[in-house]
This record gives sequence, C-alpha cells and structure tokens, in this order.
Amino acid sequence: MRLHPLTSLAAAGSTAVVTTAAASWPLSVAVMGAALAVSVRVGTARRLLPAAAVVLLPLGLSLLMVHGLFFPEGRTVLGQWGPARVTMEGLAFAFERAAQLGAVVLALLVFSFSVSVPDLVAALSARGVHGRFAFVLASTLTLLPAIAARVERIRQAQESRGLVIRPGLLHRAAAFRLQAVPLVLSLIEDAGTRTAALESRGFSNPGPRTSYREVPDSGRQRVLRAVLAVSAGAAVAARLWLSRAGG
Amino acid sequence: MSSPSLTLPSPAPAAARKRRLLEILGAVAIAGTYIYLVLNQPADITGGPGSASALIALSGFLAGAILLIVAVLPTLPASTVVLIPVALVLNIVLGQFVGSTLVPFYLDAIGTVLIAVLAGPAAGAATGALSSIVWSFFNPTVLPFAAGAALIGCLAGLAARHGMFRRFYLAPVAGFLTGIIGGVVSAPVAAFVFGGTSGVATGAIVSAFRSMGDTLLAAITKQALISDPMDKAIVFTVVAILVYALPGRARLQFPFIRRYRVLAGQAPKQGC
Repeated sequence: MRLHPLTSLAAAGSTAVVTTAAASWPLSVAVMGAALAVSVRVGTARRLLPAAAVVLLPLGLSLLMVHGLFFPEGRTVLGQWGPARVTMEGLAFAFERAAQLGAVVLALLVFSFSVSVPDLVAALSARGVHGRFAFVLASTLTLLPAIAARVERIRQAQESRGLVIRPGLLHRAAAFRLQAVPLVLSLIEDAGTRTAALESRGFSNPGPRTSYREVPDSGRQRVLRAVLAVSAGAAVAARLWLSRAGG
Repeated sequence: MSSPSLTLPSPAPAAARKRRLLEILGAVAIAGTYIYLVLNQPADITGGPGSASALIALSGFLAGAILLIVAVLPTLPASTVVLIPVALVLNIVLGQFVGSTLVPFYLDAIGTVLIAVLAGPAAGAATGALSSIVWSFFNPTVLPFAAGAALIGCLAGLAARHGMFRRFYLAPVAGFLTGIIGGVVSAPVAAFVFGGTSGVATGAIVSAFRSMGDTLLAAITKQALISDPMDKAIVFTVVAILVYALPGRARLQFPFIRRYRVLAGQAPKQGC
C-alpha cells in the first residue's frame, strides 16, 4: 500500500528531529545508511544522490576546513603548519556535525524525492492548511523546470542577437542584465495573466473547497503518525532536560 | 488587478485581530529565540553535542516563520500570491548556483527582495519564509534560515516604502544595512545548527577568525558581517536594476508601488 504523504513527512521529520536531539554519530551514520537504503528501494537514488552531494559536499568541506584546521579548544595536536593546527577534537567535532547534518539532509531528501506533490497538496488542503500555501508549494515545484527551460531559451535568443559573454565583471553584469530583464518581465506578465484566470475561478473567495483528489489513508497510518510526532517531541524534551541537568 | 470582492463580505475584524496576534507571536518567537541564544551563548557549541541549542534555534525560528506565513499569506492580494512562486524560483535558481561556487556570497534573496519592492514588507516576509520552506525540498539546510529570510524580505519592503529605491545609489546602502541585521540574526543558526557554514568560501572566512582564537559564534557572526552586507547590497542593486528596467505598465500594476511612490520618476497618476 502507498504511504500517505503526511505519514512519510512525519517519518522524515521525526527522524531528523530525533537524530539532531540524539547527537550521537553512530546513530547519524545508521540513519544515513537507512535513508540511502530506502531511496534505493523506492528507486529515487539516481536523482537523490546528486542533489544530496550538491548540498553535503560543500558543507562537509567547510566543516572540515573550519574545525579540522582551526579548533582553538583542541588539546590533542596531530599536526601544525603555521597558524593551522589539526587537532583530534576538531576533526571529531567536524565529523560528528557532518554525520548529523548528513542524516537530517538525507532523511528529508528521501521524503521530498519520493512524495507525490499533488497528493501532498491534496492531503494538506484536506487537513485545513490554507489553499494558498498549497498553491505556492505546487506552483513553485511545477514552475521550476518551466522557468529553467525559459532561461535557456532567452539565453539562446540573446546569443542569436550577438550576445557574447566576455571576461570581466562589467561584461558579465551586462550579460546578466540582458538575460534577467526579459526573464523577470515575462514572468511578471505571466503572473498577471494567471492572476486573472485564478481570480475568475474564485481563488481568493473564502469558504470550503471541494477536492477531487482522494488520498488513501488508514487508521494504522494515523496511529503511526501520532507515534512519530510524540517520539520527536519526547526526544526534544529528553535532550533539553538532559542538557539542563548536565549544567 | 485583483480588487476586494464587491459581492462577498469583507473579513470580520475578529479574523483580522487573530492574524495580527499571529504576526506578533511569530515576531516574538523569532526575537525570543535569538535573545535566548545570544544571552545563553551555550558553551556547548564546541564543547559537547550542542544539540539542545540547535533544537531551540531550529524550533523557535521555524515556528516564528510559520506563524508569520499563517498570519500574512491569507491577507495578500491574489496578484501577489501568484508572484510568490515566481520569486521562489528566482531565489532557488540563482541561489543554488552561487551557493555552491567559490564566492563568499549567497545571492539567494533576489526574488524575495523583488517581491518586497513590488508588493510591500508583509509580502516580502511571507516570500522569504516560504522560500526557505519550499527550497528545503531540494536543500534541507536552508530550512533553519526561514526566519532570517523573512526578516530580509520585511526590511526590504520597509526600505522600499521609505523611498530607498527612489534614488539609485540608496538601494545598495539599504541592502548593506539590511544585510547587517540579517547576518547578525542568521549567525546563531549557522553556529548552533551547522557548527559552521554551508559554503566553502564562507567557511574560509570563518577559519580565518577561528585561527585568531575567536569562539565559533563570534567567528561566524564576523563572517556574516562581512558576507551578508555585501551580498544584500548586490542583491538590492540587482533588484533596483530589474525594477527600473521593467516597463511602467508592468510595475504600476502593483498598488504598493503606486501608493508609496516606491520608484523615481513617476508621479502617482489617477486611474492607472
């Protein structure tokens, strides 16, 4: 049976919260492994891995550079070049943080790459989330590829009119302007047309909406969602209590 | 463009009061979280797991941003709501590109500032917060910055309302000031949630301050004070160029621009 989109959202969200609250690297690494396994199983690994790499590689490198080389609090010095001091504590901190963030990022990406956006929007509106939020979410996710294609068309059109990007900041800025102005102008024009169409269909009228999309849900999933939410809350409470008790 | 409905009753004052309350609660949540984090400066950033402060930063800022969205989104006119996805796409397309390159800037707020200039501070704040939430579908690390993005949008709208976009040279100044405030608010998120920054170039700047013996929060705040004002000055300038390049018909369709005479060279005309 397909998972209800809110169930997978609850699963991803509570995994992220519990991993952050636990802050133990074995758990983080286990969550990363589990997230990768789920994404391979669902068949989204091919799209998910590049997206995760784009986020996590700069983050990991940055953490490694900041804490690996400079960690004034570190005691165990492994190597030293001028002001840079590689310390055991710094490397451990960088690794811990990278694992923790990697687990959170992968858990949330598994959700967003496997969820069906129309289902999510229907489920959110059925739960009383304002229709406008659902509109913004769905509209952005569907506009993204369309606008990327338009950027490409505008670039081709400007190049056919003789746009050559020469080196130098001013030339680049001029080239940016030649492409950005038609893009923004056409987007605002489109938005105006869309506003008129939406308004004539009662977009801003108050009152209930009828959804023609049924998202199957079950009692078991409802219980599961409640359990996930409670466990996330409990993890946060436990962490706050522990940190208070520990000073 | 869209006008208040002539046939449907206008929203009751009770609903307006509830929205105002939500707005205030959202702002209080963001400000309270920030003050708590800065006052308590939990020593546990580098000395322990540090996840208690990460959780407080995450939940406080996120709850504030969501409250602001809930309060503002239903009040915006449809023409603005339709523009928000466009702004989000501009943020994501430009920000995703710059964020991963070797420049210590982000340029992830062009769409947000554009909306703020065209439609006002409330729309800017909602766009900033929504942008972080929707963008987190591809890049979950931007989620904790929702409150900072909302603040940038709100400040950009206020700058536009007070005529900072009427003179071309004032736009970067307004951006610079906005960046200072935005950077100071976002720095604890970067410090407590990430323990660093999410880009290599910004990380290099943090390393430089760390090598001088600064605490992590101090180093990241200083990095933010270097990167953010420059970044927002560039963003505001780009938005000023874009807005002035739009034909009058496109920009005058926005009531905010007509009402506060946001841009130079256009007397408020009747009936346009």
